[in-house]
Amino acid sequence: MIKVENVTKNYSVGQTVVHALRGVTLAIEKSEFLSIAGPSGSGKTTLLNLIGCLDKATSGEIYIVGEAVSSKSKKELALLRRRRLGFVFQSFNLIPVLSAYENVSFALSLLGVNGSEIKERTYKLLEEVGLKGMETRLPGELSGGQQQRVAVARALIKEPDMVLADEPTANLDSDTGREILDLMAAMNEIHGTTFVFSTHDQMVMDYARRLVRLHDGEVTSDERRGT
Amino acid sequence: MSFLLTLAWKNLSRYKRRTLITACALAFGIAMFLWMDGWLQGAARESERNIIWYESGSAKVMTTDYLEDIKSMPLKHAIQDPAAVEKALEGAGVTTTRRTVFAGEIFYGEGSMYVKVIGIDPQTDETIYRLSDTLAQGRYLETGESGVVLGEWLAQDLGITVGEEITIRTRTRYGAFQTLDLVVVGVLNSPNPVINKGTAYVPLSLADEALEMEGAVTEITLFFPEWQDPEAKVESLRERLSGFPGLTVESWKDLARDFLMIAQMKSAGSSIILFLVFIIAAVGISNTMLMAVYERVREIGMMRAMGMKDGAIRVAFLFEAGGIGLIGTLAGIVIGLVLNWYMVNYGIDFTNLMGQGQMDIGYRVTGVFRSAWHPQAFVGGFIIGVVAAMVFSFIPSSRALKMQITEALRYE
Repeated sequence: MIKVENVTKNYSVGQTVVHALRGVTLAIEKSEFLSIAGPSGSGKTTLLNLIGCLDKATSGEIYIVGEAVSSKSKKELALLRRRRLGFVFQSFNLIPVLSAYENVSFALSLLGVNGSEIKERTYKLLEEVGLKGMETRLPGELSGGQQQRVAVARALIKEPDMVLADEPTANLDSDTGREILDLMAAMNEIHGTTFVFSTHDQMVMDYARRLVRLHDGEVTSDERRGT
Repeated sequence: MSFLLTLAWKNLSRYKRRTLITACALAFGIAMFLWMDGWLQGAARESERNIIWYESGSAKVMTTDYLEDIKSMPLKHAIQDPAAVEKALEGAGVTTTRRTVFAGEIFYGEGSMYVKVIGIDPQTDETIYRLSDTLAQGRYLETGESGVVLGEWLAQDLGITVGEEITIRTRTRYGAFQTLDLVVVGVLNSPNPVINKGTAYVPLSLADEALEMEGAVTEITLFFPEWQDPEAKVESLRERLSGFPGLTVESWKDLARDFLMIAQMKSAGSSIILFLVFIIAAVGISNTMLMAVYERVREIGMMRAMGMKDGAIRVAFLFEAGGIGLIGTLAGIVIGLVLNWYMVNYGIDFTNLMGQGQMDIGYRVTGVFRSAWHPQAFVGGFIIGVVAAMVFSFIPSSRALKMQITEALRYE
């Protein structure tokens, strides 16, 4: 479903060129539950951003469901993200003035889904992620774990091909982090959605069914585990 | 679109104090603009009415030579046969009265003062001018008497009261010196300061005899309803008098050109206030939106990551700024309505200030200054307030949208 072919990414920091990724090649299949792990500066967030079409590779190519992304315009990339990709961020990134319901339904309204369908799907998914009865609460009225559940629901509501999660448990305590991982694993099982995480948290790595390790911008191992 | 409106509305309440302060600044600017504009409109309209009622009627017939030298009031360029002119104007839908205007020096006690003296026919003059309605003391003129009516400020300057005698020195039509010994029969307190300041009225029959006019007059004042376009009407009257070479018809607008120019310049003052409203909107809204944008860089990054179009994000900020503009402008209009209502109905009384100092501020208004309703200003103020607010949110939102999504998501 996703192909990363010999991708490099260089950044300029003043006079210095930082090689964040050095020829990464990777194929991700549908319904995978994959973790990209590595120490700080290994390039895992950069790789996630490139797969998520949030940034452009210096060289190489990324294919999402057969479509090469490097030649796409800003608008086409936005459309691709809107339809095919979901995101979960480390610090939740919910809109504080919108309720849990509104934060989730917003993703569907971007797709032009009609009002009654938005309502039905949003209430159903919020119930699935364990937030029944909390639909009208603002993010500030929810715990960190509950906020991340809203973020997971927001990423899943449009039934994307893949959810990209950048250190999704980094701002949560371990129990809450485990709950979120259980939730994502369950969503992966139920909906067949592909999940790709970046992490340096051992607990997240333990949950992954496929673990790709990065070091200094290169893939050092690609380990598949049984379910 | 409904999501963008919801988001904009909720974001407005996010920083209540900041929204309120910005909206208040805008409301103050809009209210000041409406107040100032209403006042200037009121003063201009009242001045125009006072020019027609007390100074020039709707139009005047005079010789072109007299018009060219109108400031020195040359009697030698008078209309020789006013009766023939009036006959030609019959059926033109105008009322007429004859006047002879001349320069004179009033002597009273040990002092003297140069004034404009106007010979009027007390009967026909009243059909056009409203001088008799403004008598403050004494009575109005009667035909044939050796009486004079003075403007109130002039009478005060000379220290003259009704019943006292004055002497006016002037020159006849042929340049000979002439003196008129007159009894002050009345004092006018006109709403037009020009009349109060330096004008004396004598019977036309007296002026005719003393100035050797032999039936000639310097002008024939015309009156036609206000709803008629003065320019078009005057043009038709000129055609009607085309058989009188050397005669011209001038509308009150032509005769009061100096005043109209000043009024126009003063109304530019309201444009300056409107410009200030723009500045308030520019500084206030830009600053508020700049802060809002920088506090929400990560949110903007998240929305862009989710595939929201940059245009839609910009529209959300435009709505938000438009919301501040709408609140501020509506509040400004409400305050403006209240201020204007008071100013239209009660006005501000400058009688003491103007009467004592005999102040002339260019407008033909004395005493109470009242505003006039000017709906266009309310509509214009509303549109400019809201649109300017939206326009000035454009730059801050553009800045945030220029940022890379990954950079925006990392923004602290």
